[in-house]
Amino acid sequence: MCLLPLRPRVIRLIRMPARPVDAGRRTCSARALSPAVTRKDYILRQREEHGRRALAVLPVHYPKELLTAFGVLAVELWGPPGPPRGEGAGRLQTYVCALARNALAFLASGGAAPVGGVLFPHTCDTIQGLATLVSDLGEFDKPVLTFLHPKGPPRASAHTFLLAELRSLAEELAEFTGRALEPERVREALRLHQDIDTHRALLLDARRRLPLSDRELYEVLRRGEWLWPEDHLAELRAVSASLHAEPVQKGVPLLVTGYVPEPADLLEALGRAGAYLVADDYAAVGRRLVRSEEWFDSEADPFRLLARRYFLAPPCPTRSADPGERMRHLTGLFERSGARGVLVHLLKFCEPELFDLPWLRSTFAARGVPLLFIEGELEASLSAREVTRIEAFVEMLS
Amino acid sequence: MNLRRAQYELAGRLVGPLVLALESWQRRLARRPRSSRPGPFGPPLQATRKLKELMSLHYYQGRFAQGAVPVAWVTSGFPVEILRPLGFHAFYPENHAAICGVQRLVPPLSDAAEAEGYSRDLCSYARTDLGSLLAHRTPVGRIPRPDLLACCTNICQTVLYWYRALASHLKVPLVLVDAPYVYRSARPHLVSYVKEQLEELVQVAEGISGRRVEPEALVEVTARAKEGTRLWGECLAQGRHRPAPWTGIDGFFHMAPIVSLRGTESCNAYYRLLRDELVDRVRQGIGGLVEERHRLLWDNLPIWFWVRELSALLAGRGFNFVCTSYTNAWAEAGARIDPADPIGSAAQAYTHILLNQDLANRLAILGRLSRDYAVEGAVLHSDRSCKPYSVGQIDLKERLARELGIRVLLLEADHSDPRAFSAEQGESRLTAFMESFG
Repeated sequence: MCLLPLRPRVIRLIRMPARPVDAGRRTCSARALSPAVTRKDYILRQREEHGRRALAVLPVHYPKELLTAFGVLAVELWGPPGPPRGEGAGRLQTYVCALARNALAFLASGGAAPVGGVLFPHTCDTIQGLATLVSDLGEFDKPVLTFLHPKGPPRASAHTFLLAELRSLAEELAEFTGRALEPERVREALRLHQDIDTHRALLLDARRRLPLSDRELYEVLRRGEWLWPEDHLAELRAVSASLHAEPVQKGVPLLVTGYVPEPADLLEALGRAGAYLVADDYAAVGRRLVRSEEWFDSEADPFRLLARRYFLAPPCPTRSADPGERMRHLTGLFERSGARGVLVHLLKFCEPELFDLPWLRSTFAARGVPLLFIEGELEASLSAREVTRIEAFVEMLS
Repeated sequence: MNLRRAQYELAGRLVGPLVLALESWQRRLARRPRSSRPGPFGPPLQATRKLKELMSLHYYQGRFAQGAVPVAWVTSGFPVEILRPLGFHAFYPENHAAICGVQRLVPPLSDAAEAEGYSRDLCSYARTDLGSLLAHRTPVGRIPRPDLLACCTNICQTVLYWYRALASHLKVPLVLVDAPYVYRSARPHLVSYVKEQLEELVQVAEGISGRRVEPEALVEVTARAKEGTRLWGECLAQGRHRPAPWTGIDGFFHMAPIVSLRGTESCNAYYRLLRDELVDRVRQGIGGLVEERHRLLWDNLPIWFWVRELSALLAGRGFNFVCTSYTNAWAEAGARIDPADPIGSAAQAYTHILLNQDLANRLAILGRLSRDYAVEGAVLHSDRSCKPYSVGQIDLKERLARELGIRVLLLEADHSDPRAFSAEQGESRLTAFMESFG
């Protein structure tokens, strides 16, 4: 049985030399909060110390608040990056996206040993197929849960369906944990996740004043994919405290849109080239932030609150967002952030994202905004060719 | 009746049939005498001529539909029965893309879509139709501009993105019927959700057509759709006989009416004709092949641009695809249709489309087809353009071989883009596969 991450990840917030930030910057106080621990160790410790069962979760959108309310630790499975390994490596064709190929290989080779089951949100045809492949043909012996999104406009039938689907997932979670749902715990979880989103949004919106490199910032943000929410919030608070009053970032600010910031050395390549990400629309990061608190109503049924919050998330193609609405969101983000260029960073074969590509190109071309399109397959590291393209792009914007 | 409507009706009832008869007569005159050398195929199906007439007439009449009747572009899995009582002319972009595939027009059309920014990794049907729209090029003469785009996600999510792109280019309303994926069994809220959307669809379609759906008319169309799928199932079932009276490749072409004309009397009349001919061939012992030595199953869409080569390659060695999961899907859907409850049963039927159900169901269907049609082997087309059909095939291959004791080949190709297929490699793999039967 292998460890949950194929590359044991050491949790240190400040691992890379931060560039191109002012030399005399404030030190991030979150460093002391994060002793080195692997993801697997963390999952086991959560189980031992808090009795929390872990659930591996495939991308992208799912009601994490509900998992938190049930005391379930969500451990998101974004690949992992690198070539698929183990006996399940060849069970999906090479024209299927690398995330699904890697996830299947990972699950089939015992990667999910520390977790109690897997949740498959209905993100796309491939992840939907992966759910049945794992549970029906994969001889996977742990519970497989599914969560179906309503696709299309947020019409009345979509609201009704989402409510029913949330209740259905709650029943599955009750069975998974052996606990009954307590409505007040859902409300608490909703408030906790709103607090987290507010802090994550602060770090992204105040990017210029944050004395961290992109790699450092994204390590903090992406640890939310597997830390218990309160632990994640504590780190976010600590990092937020390191914000400067004045901008400290130097270089070319870029807006990024895409699926997931992998390989992570893409972020380093940007830094070396003299750029940094000032606005984020990654499915894994920015597209999951609910900034509005309009959903909250202390009297409402918790499932209604979950549904309301769900529909307030930014437009995402994997939830079949209207492209026009998405382009308005992105141009607004671009203008507010002061970005000077757009980086489109997609996963090869990802249909929901690729269908929006012509819109992205034409929307930003019409505004005279330079755009660089990079497509990857969750490689372990960025190719020299892509590094050169990034360097040329940033040089053009400098 | 306005002039356009009169043109449309005349095209369908008088001019179209006359033009087609004339073309047919010209073709017969120009046809060279057939070689006397016997080929591997049995005598051609007489119904094929009627099929060509039927589909040509549908496309011909479509040229006059714009401004005459409301026009809807619909996905193959869309509950078109609801649109028919409102007088919609239904055009099927998938069917059109398949025609482009057969005629090997996909590369230039896809180039036009790619020039617009659409990735070559997207479904080739989507690229073909978007390219056709952008390049103003089609092999069917003229495509009627839609008043409504109607898409149902029961075959894939791709159609949602594809139709949204069409809606943006054409500036017409899009109706989406979101059919959630069925793991094991459809939970009640899934079916209620689809039913609710179908009721929303009725309102939108009524608004566009300016008519009301008459309940009696909806019942009639639904009954015809059910009858059509039953007749199509009867045609396919003739393949259980030895020798099968036709080939699975024939089936790919003869499925066009059940996809494009479902719910019409012309569709049902055609399948009665085809069924009677197939029954007659069975009675006379006439096969799709002169000598049927081995019986195979085909899984997934056809390789449209290579069907003739594939057919000849297999037929030359006495191999026949006596059943295909793709054509069978159109026969299975009808069982849940109930004319007494058109909307409710449509929600049930269209939620339970083959591609909207889990792999356990797919494995069961493949197993049942393999047994019912007594196949000795299966070819699973690993279709680069169709992820919902292809994800899981590597495991299905292993399970079919293990559980049924049949030989199974995974053939990498694409349903309509020849640039994603190596004919030499495909031929070599198929040849080796056939040699394994001894």
